[in-house]
Amino acid sequence: MTKRKLVIALAGNANVGKSVLFNHLTGLHQHIGNWPGKTVERAEGTLRFKGYTIDIVDLPGIYSLSTYSLEELISRKYIAVERPDIVINVVDASVLERNLFFTLQLIELETPIIMALNQMDIAKRKGIEIDAEKLEKLLGIPVIPTVAIKGIGIFQLLEKAVDIIEERRVVKPVEVKYGEEVEKRIAKVTKMVEGIHFWYPPRYVAVKLLEGDEEIEREVSRIDQQIVSTAETLAEEIENLHGHSCSTVITSERYEVAGCIAREAQKLVSPIKPTMEERLHTITTHKITGYSIMAFSLLLIFYSVFTFGDFSSELLSNFFYGWEPFFASLFGTGIVGKLVWGGIIEGIVAGVTVALPYIVPFYIILYFLEDSGYLSRIAFLMDNAMHKIGLHGKAFIPVMLGYGCNVPACLGCRIMETDRERLLAAFVTTLVPCAARTVIILGLVGKFMGIQWALMLYVIDLLIIFALGRLAFKTLPGEPTALIMEMHDYRVPHLKTVLKQTWFRLTEFIKIAFPLIIVGSLAIKFAEVLGLLEPIADILSPITVVWLGLPAITGITLIFGVLRKELTLVMLATLLETTNFADVQGFGPVQMVVFTLVAMFYIPCIATIGALVREFGWKKALFITFFEIVFAVSLGGVALRLLTLMA
Amino acid sequence: MERRSSEELEVPLTALKDGETGILTSIKAGRGRGRGRGWGFEKRLMDMGLTPGTRVTVVKSAPFHGPLEILVRGSRLALGRGMAERIFVEIEKE
Repeated sequence: MTKRKLVIALAGNANVGKSVLFNHLTGLHQHIGNWPGKTVERAEGTLRFKGYTIDIVDLPGIYSLSTYSLEELISRKYIAVERPDIVINVVDASVLERNLFFTLQLIELETPIIMALNQMDIAKRKGIEIDAEKLEKLLGIPVIPTVAIKGIGIFQLLEKAVDIIEERRVVKPVEVKYGEEVEKRIAKVTKMVEGIHFWYPPRYVAVKLLEGDEEIEREVSRIDQQIVSTAETLAEEIENLHGHSCSTVITSERYEVAGCIAREAQKLVSPIKPTMEERLHTITTHKITGYSIMAFSLLLIFYSVFTFGDFSSELLSNFFYGWEPFFASLFGTGIVGKLVWGGIIEGIVAGVTVALPYIVPFYIILYFLEDSGYLSRIAFLMDNAMHKIGLHGKAFIPVMLGYGCNVPACLGCRIMETDRERLLAAFVTTLVPCAARTVIILGLVGKFMGIQWALMLYVIDLLIIFALGRLAFKTLPGEPTALIMEMHDYRVPHLKTVLKQTWFRLTEFIKIAFPLIIVGSLAIKFAEVLGLLEPIADILSPITVVWLGLPAITGITLIFGVLRKELTLVMLATLLETTNFADVQGFGPVQMVVFTLVAMFYIPCIATIGALVREFGWKKALFITFFEIVFAVSLGGVALRLLTLMA
Repeated sequence: MERRSSEELEVPLTALKDGETGILTSIKAGRGRGRGRGWGFEKRLMDMGLTPGTRVTVVKSAPFHGPLEILVRGSRLALGRGMAERIFVEIEKE
């Protein structure tokens, strides 16, 4: 029975419809996790076909198999070391040349491979006609035209893949030939490499050594330093011959091969009038209409998410709190009852009433925008603004997510290329006022002082993001990176793929946030039951009362706020025994502003800290946390003194 | 803005007007890190198809010195201005 199990890997550029194909193949039998020890996603699924159980591994969308990014490194190693039975190379037919550049690298890895020539419909609309049979001959690998979004060609693709595995047919792909000078040197290095035992094929290692690939250099030098230094000398010779670095020469020549094949296999029908997609692109990136459309869509998104979130959040919490008497009858109202209800159940309720109403619609919209291609246009328009804090356009996406909830925003920082930018972007997103903080701003300052004051706080928040972002950008070592991003053609998003991505993100959120929220609620409930809260508030009073000029009980509310920010307001109402804060002695407009400012910045909530730990480790997460505590307290004190002066 | 003189044909990509096309001559990467310096963003650019000899068309640039929108090998890329300044092209003559 062991023979009936197969592994197929999907590999290809980003935005070629790979995840749509993956969803078609695996349906509901899939799970998304991480590559061991890495923050790169690993999507896997199973399907049954002709008596086989087939494992499908969806590799990250990448443009090359070098060591530019973790994704590329992981993909390369997976293919070379774990040796899937076959690799399906998913190719965007409308950008054939660049996709073939990747195909050639797969061929160089000497892995069994078959091509899914996807998005044939888009190519046709752009006036590109591809002769799949010719392409098959030129590449020496099977090529199946597909339109994954409509499910066309997927059965044939799978059938062909299984056929090849069953027959053990030796597919002889084209050999990627470089120029004569380069080939001579590749041959030399290959000969040296053949002697050593390594998971990559010898010729591949030779090419990569000449290119100066860091990972392979490191691995080979451990076995035989001589090989690496010989390759270095040979690479220098090529550099002297061509006037470009050896890696440039090799990449150029590989692209040359890809270009030749593409030109022979495709026919460009003279472009008719600009397509709909083309016109839409022009309008949405235009300096006037582009920004107007962006502003309008963002406002619309925020408005609808918050209206929907507010409404359903209340509905859900009413529903849950309706169960309180039931739990009280079950566990009593003693210590046990308090811990069960106040600790565990309220923790879950908190998670559910925040997560579902705000995060789900936010994610759905986000993935719609991403899949359609609009997100990359927003990144294009916002690149300049993000550069001011040392990030580039792509960082706008997690920042936007942060307005819903900081947790997915932190996780969303994975789209940045370098570790430095991931951290920088994550730091910035923790300063973005999430839905919970919006509740405080609107519920306190907005309600009792007027909406203009609430808006002012948002402006202050933006200024602080800008200032702290810039500060972090200046202090963190390393160089800023520039935007290099593909803007693929607009297309209709695939609903099922969008919903599935939302689902996986949601489960990820639940796994990170819920345990922490529950443990946190339990701990605070314990403290409450033991009567520790007031002593803690007393300890904090030099800060809260003396420095910030707030009532002493705010110390307690701020402790609760660590769980969820809006609890600061809820607890304030509970402890003051009123929701009309304007009547409270010693809690005037100045105190309201100070309190809100502190609540906004004083700490990332416990779930966000969890997300930070997961992405960046304890040290960095704690550093950000402590920094923000100190910052918020200082800010609050300064604000108090300034506002008192002005009043 | 870079001034173009009639003799000097090699200009940074940012000197191209909207709709103009150039042939890529070189990428002046930032501070080199010895050997393997080609493995940073220069490598990334090349992987995306920006190799010497390639035709690059500047479609437009985003306002306020924003990124450039370019066409290369049939794909549409957004390129940060700082990066585009280091990419040198020879302007194609009509």
